[in-house]
Amino acid sequence: MSEAKDEINHENNSQEKDINYWRSFADLHNDPALTEASKNEFMEGATEEFEPSKLSHLSRRKFLALVGASAALAGAGCADYRDKGEIVPYTHMPENTVVGKPKYFASTTSDSGHTCGVLIKTREGRPVKVDGNPDHPVGKGKICAKCQASVLNLYDPDRLQNPMRKTRTGEFMKSTWQQLDTEIVNAMNLLKGKKVAIVSEKITSPTAKKVLDDFAAKYPGTKIYSYQLFNTEIKNSAWKKSYGTDFFPFIKWNEAKVIVSLEGDFLGTDGDKVENSRLYVEGREVENAKNFNRLYVVEGNMSLTGMNADYRLKLRPDAQYGFVMSLLSEVAKRSASNLSANLSGFSLSSFAKASNMEVKKLNHLVDDLISNKGKGIVYAGRSLPEETQIAVNLLNELLGNTNLYRTDSLPFENLKLSSNEDWNSLISDMNAGNVGMVIHFDSNPVFHLPSDLGYADALKKVTNVISITESANESSNAGNYVLPLSHSFESWGDSKTRTGFFALQQPVINPIYNTRQKEAVLLNWIDGAKGTYKDTIYHEYLMQNWQKNIYPGLNSKLNFREFWLGALHDGVVLVNEKEFSIGSFNNSVVSNLPGSTAKASGYAVILRESYFLGDGKYANNGWLQELPHPVTKMTWDNYAAISQNTAKSLGVKSEDKIEIKIGHRNLKIPVFVQPGCSDDTITIESGYGRNVVGVVGEGVGFNSNALLTKSNSGSPWIFNTSDVKKDNGSYKLVSAQEHHLFEKSPNENIFGERHILKEGTVGEYLKNPHFIEEMGEEEHVDEIYPIHPDWFQGVKWGMAIDLNKCTGCGECVVACMAENNIPVVGKDQVAVGREMQWMRIDTYYSGTGDEPIVSTQPMLCQHCDNAPCENVCPVAATTHSKDGLNQMVYNRCVGTRYCSNNCPYKVRRFNFFNFRDHFRDGFQQDKLFDLVYNPEVTVRSRGVMEKCTFCIQRIATEREDAIRENRNVIGSNVHTACQDACNTNAIKFGDINNKEAEFSKYRNHELGYYVLEQLNVKPNVTYLAKLRNTHSEEV
Amino acid sequence: MASGKKLHSITALFKSPDEIINAAKKTTSAGYKKFDVNTPYPVHGMDGAMGLGQSKIGFVTLFFGLTGAAFIFLFMWWSFAASYNIVVGGKPFLAAPAFIPITFETTVLFAAISTVVGMIAVYFKLPDNSHPLHDTEYMKAVSGDKFGLVIEAEDSQFDKVKVSEFLNGLGAYKIEEVYYPEKEEFRMFSPKFLLFLGIVVIATCGTTYVTLNKAMYVTPFDWMDYQDKLVAQEKSNIWANDEGMRPPVEGTVARSDMPYPYMGQTTPTNVLVNPTFPNKEILALGKKKFLTFCSPCHGNLGDGNSRLNGQFPNGPTLHSDKIINYSDGMIYHIMTNGQNAMPSYARQVTRKERWAIVDYIRVLQRAQNAKESDLQAVNKESVSNVQN
Amino acid sequence: MSLDYSKEIPLVQGDLTMEDLDNAIVKPLDSKPSNKYFIALAFTSGLLLLGVLGVSLTFYFGIGEWGNNQPVAWGWGITNFVFWVGIAHAGTLISAILYLLRQKWRTAIARFSEAMTIFAVICAGIFPIIHTGRPWLAGYLIPYPNSHSLWPNFVSPLVWDVFAVSTYFTVSLLFWYVGLIPDFATLRDRTVSKVKKTIYSLFSLGWRHSNRHWRHYEKVYMILAGLATPLVLSVHTVVSFDFAVAVLPGWHSTIFPPYFVAGAIFSGFAMVVTALVFMRKVFDLENVITMDHLERMNKIILLTGSMVGYAYLMEFFISWYSGVPTEQYVAINRAFGPYAWGYWIMVSCNSLFPQLFWIKKFRRSIPVMFFVVILVNVGMWFERFIIIASSLHRDFLPSSWGYFSPTWVDFSILIGSFGLFFTLVLLFTKTLPVVAMSEIKGVVEGAQPSHHGGDHNG
Repeated sequence: MSEAKDEINHENNSQEKDINYWRSFADLHNDPALTEASKNEFMEGATEEFEPSKLSHLSRRKFLALVGASAALAGAGCADYRDKGEIVPYTHMPENTVVGKPKYFASTTSDSGHTCGVLIKTREGRPVKVDGNPDHPVGKGKICAKCQASVLNLYDPDRLQNPMRKTRTGEFMKSTWQQLDTEIVNAMNLLKGKKVAIVSEKITSPTAKKVLDDFAAKYPGTKIYSYQLFNTEIKNSAWKKSYGTDFFPFIKWNEAKVIVSLEGDFLGTDGDKVENSRLYVEGREVENAKNFNRLYVVEGNMSLTGMNADYRLKLRPDAQYGFVMSLLSEVAKRSASNLSANLSGFSLSSFAKASNMEVKKLNHLVDDLISNKGKGIVYAGRSLPEETQIAVNLLNELLGNTNLYRTDSLPFENLKLSSNEDWNSLISDMNAGNVGMVIHFDSNPVFHLPSDLGYADALKKVTNVISITESANESSNAGNYVLPLSHSFESWGDSKTRTGFFALQQPVINPIYNTRQKEAVLLNWIDGAKGTYKDTIYHEYLMQNWQKNIYPGLNSKLNFREFWLGALHDGVVLVNEKEFSIGSFNNSVVSNLPGSTAKASGYAVILRESYFLGDGKYANNGWLQELPHPVTKMTWDNYAAISQNTAKSLGVKSEDKIEIKIGHRNLKIPVFVQPGCSDDTITIESGYGRNVVGVVGEGVGFNSNALLTKSNSGSPWIFNTSDVKKDNGSYKLVSAQEHHLFEKSPNENIFGERHILKEGTVGEYLKNPHFIEEMGEEEHVDEIYPIHPDWFQGVKWGMAIDLNKCTGCGECVVACMAENNIPVVGKDQVAVGREMQWMRIDTYYSGTGDEPIVSTQPMLCQHCDNAPCENVCPVAATTHSKDGLNQMVYNRCVGTRYCSNNCPYKVRRFNFFNFRDHFRDGFQQDKLFDLVYNPEVTVRSRGVMEKCTFCIQRIATEREDAIRENRNVIGSNVHTACQDACNTNAIKFGDINNKEAEFSKYRNHELGYYVLEQLNVKPNVTYLAKLRNTHSEEV
Repeated sequence: MASGKKLHSITALFKSPDEIINAAKKTTSAGYKKFDVNTPYPVHGMDGAMGLGQSKIGFVTLFFGLTGAAFIFLFMWWSFAASYNIVVGGKPFLAAPAFIPITFETTVLFAAISTVVGMIAVYFKLPDNSHPLHDTEYMKAVSGDKFGLVIEAEDSQFDKVKVSEFLNGLGAYKIEEVYYPEKEEFRMFSPKFLLFLGIVVIATCGTTYVTLNKAMYVTPFDWMDYQDKLVAQEKSNIWANDEGMRPPVEGTVARSDMPYPYMGQTTPTNVLVNPTFPNKEILALGKKKFLTFCSPCHGNLGDGNSRLNGQFPNGPTLHSDKIINYSDGMIYHIMTNGQNAMPSYARQVTRKERWAIVDYIRVLQRAQNAKESDLQAVNKESVSNVQN
Repeated sequence: MSLDYSKEIPLVQGDLTMEDLDNAIVKPLDSKPSNKYFIALAFTSGLLLLGVLGVSLTFYFGIGEWGNNQPVAWGWGITNFVFWVGIAHAGTLISAILYLLRQKWRTAIARFSEAMTIFAVICAGIFPIIHTGRPWLAGYLIPYPNSHSLWPNFVSPLVWDVFAVSTYFTVSLLFWYVGLIPDFATLRDRTVSKVKKTIYSLFSLGWRHSNRHWRHYEKVYMILAGLATPLVLSVHTVVSFDFAVAVLPGWHSTIFPPYFVAGAIFSGFAMVVTALVFMRKVFDLENVITMDHLERMNKIILLTGSMVGYAYLMEFFISWYSGVPTEQYVAINRAFGPYAWGYWIMVSCNSLFPQLFWIKKFRRSIPVMFFVVILVNVGMWFERFIIIASSLHRDFLPSSWGYFSPTWVDFSILIGSFGLFFTLVLLFTKTLPVVAMSEIKGVVEGAQPSHHGGDHNG
């Protein structure tokens, strides 16, 4: 027992020892001891009126929590006011201005001889978007991609900002106009007899021409040289020989039933694309399918026109003459008319065999030509040599197609382009040291003139080389004075490119930099540059010139001031000039057409004008560089397009480099194996490979001008060489669509069976107008959920795209980029498939790799009623609006990209980087680009999903107007950017619920179908099935 | 010493599970209520031996599980269908099938948490680290491989000696008395604690303030908050005077905005013709604009009785013959172009409004020197008004 | 060796007493870690750092740092997420489902695999956040009251994920902790160090091994097991909804939920075996985690592996049977398209090699099973990659087809996640009992009363 006691005591001691150890846990639950303790504490405390019993129920933990909470509250309470920047009022606000509402100015843009009548949208006195001027007789409210994108050039940070002169060490130093003007004028006064050469591109402005003349008068010995890289000289000379008049006339494409285009890309780069496409699709109205025109294209490489052909035949360009002559002989034989031409050596059948063309197609061609005498046209591309052109003229004459030549309006030349002889003499003068001064009048001859002309070397012999240019280029670097040129949106001017109207150009913003327009510079020199330069100098000169020389001839009822203001308002002045007559065909020319041709051997190399970069002027324009090639979808590069067989024989595959040698000239360039190329034909696009251009365009692509030569027999753009071989190394070409689609020949009709494309022939349609609907019958699915009763009641926005009119040119894409602040991502990002364009033109090939049939399809957000993207967005950042829009809420988007995965059309675009920062080291973050962004559209940040919004900012504008005018929203008042830009009006937009509207005609058209209809996502974009006008027996 | 402390219980240790089971049974049958068995792991059959029933905790799980389900489903319905309607992929507002997964997960979540918390806090009254049994040899043993039985002093029939003997009788190999530990006190306002308190306050204040007012506004959190584009009335340092809004170039003509042709001519060679017809609406507009822009100088009736009475050179009366004889176009011209002290009102007053003002001025002039015929006309009208 | 499966296999070999067990299990906690341990820790945390680097780059420059592109908007981020969630499932299965099935052998490995569950969920949880374009706004996925009264889109499978994964994590943690309470108490009473004692006391909540507690405790443990079982199945079902709910051919498939759950258990068990093979050696617990345990797990691997293989075949059959051209194309494209290499890695690793386990010799051979489970881990990662990449890269419109190729950042983040996982595992083995002491003690020979008297008259 006692033992036990001891034990117990021992236990207690041990307990006592350990007991302090538990102190820290005593407060885990509040026991009375706690408050007792605190009470005692406070009796000695200083604060008498303190009532400890209040604390009695308060444990330390509770107390802490309270303190923490109140502290947090205090912290949150005192919040900052965030400065949103100051507001600057519109001082000197012009009359009739509402801040935030755009103003439109009619004007004219011109690049290397081609002009567009534009309507420039300005916000608070700065241009933000360029559209077509509806009053312009050529464009009729439509313009080309280059002109749309030219607004980007205006704000290009790479533009020259100050006049510069070259120092002895060779780099350019910033200087002042005052100083350089005097220096140059002095230099000109000291020329004593030496020549002055002004080198310009094709001159489109009569007043500018007058300035040059005045200059020549002031400084005798001045000669003006002008060039145009891709011109129509051959066509014109051939025409002169055939008919005696100077210019090959324009063609009434809209009246042609049968169009045969030989190597002629008249829907793309050959002639005025905008006008041609508009007229061409007049023959593609589904409303009267009976009168569809039929397009035959005979060409070496798939062109934009070739894609739209009903029948396409491959033929290497240097065999075209033989083809035309054979055609002639066949037609002559069939129509039993005898020609003075020696056709004995030609027969179509043997020619077809020799250059394995499909005889069936050829027969169709001949039949159509003969059965449509007077209603067909054969068009020879501008690059084909003279005798071919003459033969084609003869063929048209023979078929009585001459009434398809337009007689109301003719091309007009202010100044004839300089001939090869002129250039040769200039070079020799320069080398002889007889030229004291060369003025590059907004031109880049070093890049454009044939290398073997030796212009660059001759330039070294000239003491004063002055370049007036927007941004540094190859020629300006070779000179010693560089004068910054104002953008055409900062300049006055006029233009006359064809008879029947003048076009006027007015500035929409004062020069951003210290620049002048080229005419003003010369005028100042004419005045002797006495330091009395005024910015208005050319404006006044222009008005005087019109008042003196043009206005009187128009015998207008208005006084000049009123007339002038009216002219500026309209942008064009129509004048009625006499109709001209075609004249009679001069048969003598026929007899000296060569009677036979050697079988084409070796490789035919043909240079084509780039669809978007022109002659290289727009090489620094990111929008155009990233615009996918209409045919191959290639971006950021040019390449040598060859056929599969040629690739085999050369032992190369796509992206391998080849070396092309023509005489001493050679070019190393990657190849791209393209379906639809004729064998042994190498097609290269010009305008790439600029070395001195700016951050964006520098070193993009390969300079094919290296192949140009002064001694060109026949055509300056078509060469024949046998010296083409594989070069070591390869080069990455990036396209906006996967290559394999073009390389393999998809024999399975994957597009049809997936209900992506639905096509038919005119014959089918006429036989059964509902054949497309019948195709779709198996697709209809039952609804699980009921439609929302109160949804889509008012306006419901929808789009209809007429694939019969869509030529796949891509104007809409660049318009969308301009309207919606879409960033340029650069070649590396396109390569990994991160291009940002909201709209794209899908190109699908069917048929065989050799004889492909091309279908194009503009693809954009379909704004599905049952949008799959909306279901999966975890944060409801994309939802549906009551007027049928699939909305994207940028601020809410966290960027899970789930919506993109679940979009069957893959039209959503994700900002994988802050591309403005990522592209060319933040090039696009330059302050100047702030000006080009549409103020009505959010500039998206990194990590945000985006997509086509149906131009919701324009819809919002209409909504505001409707509210102000106290009416309902009218669907037809809203035009999307792509719709405005579409040259052929293939895109229709409007209110689906308004059954009366013209739009619903397309929305509910019997040819209409939805892409991937079987998914039952109920798109609001309708596609009108493409009808091919092939011969019905092929159905 | 031991005598001073309060006895909590007497504990006994056993070596094998069989012993403890028997001990438990005996203790139960001996009628002890406040006793417990401590084993390193649950021993099968012990519940029976101690005469304990089934645990009821399952009901907690059930109740809270159902609560969770109901709550989340109602919440989703409220946020989607009731609070703010959003159409998503053409689904109805109450897309019940799509709500099932979340409902299920929340059910499980509520059930699990409530069960565990309920068990620990409600059933076990844990945490309790100051329990007398803690830190005793007894406890060490039972959390190892021994089995223990404890009879508490609170038990009605507890008697120190009896219990010890009873436990000995059960064959316990060790018996131990357990006492309550001494309650120790601690001070709320000890300087250490106050210092700690201060740190807490500062830390909380600081972090909250910084997160809410600073951190939220640094890159990248402010992306798309500031836009890289130039909007109306925004400052832009591209131009010298920081004005984002540029004046249009001199001499250019915007669409549907032909400039006034006689601008700058004091005596215009020619003037425009009034395009408006003075109906009620136009006159109302004219009156409104007149009172806004003209009356300050020309007076509410256009009689030159300025509202600024003398602080500014009074405008002339508009009832002078000169002005009465002016053509509408001339008055419009003066408004547009300005005259003498009068500036141009082209910017403030739109063209339509200017014509409306002209019409209103005509009315004023007519009213000032009305003729008998006018009076009759007015009467006739008022009469007709009465009749209607 | 030959075993007679008819009689109960002893759960603990070499007749250890409870004391021996306690000592064996607690040894790593009391003993100083060896240099080997530190080297291992340095290695894993090195990998972890690499991952941190990758994540920071992504955060700073954007998802563009990864290989993701327009058709393939989800790349490795989601692949890793699904992979880790799958790994997690083994733990819950062992601790919950096997508990309900009264599989006593689970006791030895339950604690460890539950820990792996929690760590794997942590790894998984990271990816949905860092894969977003604006990770700092990922909170938008959680329904919290805000000034715009905006709520997440409860119709979106990603929100389902948020609920499923967070619930799963919480419940696993509770389950794990409830199991740990008695062990904490035991540790508390064993240890001599004051600091350790403080910590253990905190976590043990003052547990007293009282039988009045045990009876509730066991009930709760069963309830939790009952809750965790449907939960674990639901979690991977929901994860599979991410794909099954979409319209994308190759994703839009009703087979996904069972297929994913089987795959999850499959990969999870493989990972557990991978780790156990080392652990039982390093901490000489061969007698606690016996060859029989491993063999049993290998059997489950064999079973689930075959189920996964069946799913692969079924996908082909259904796509053919559906008659939908896009579905058919995707099936063909998977096996013979640009991602064929990945597909065949997946098939061979997941369906062919596990078949070795039909042979008992291989089931019980450490090298073989290690070889196989490593392959399974690889194969299951590829399965997720193939499902995501090969379905996305060629969907409806051929015009928008593309190809996904990872960048080094993708690799670094994947490696980093493994680094994180094994770092956590290593820390765990040194801080907590890797075997549930109170449970294992309950199942040693003679741990329970010989005559179950109490049961009868209770």
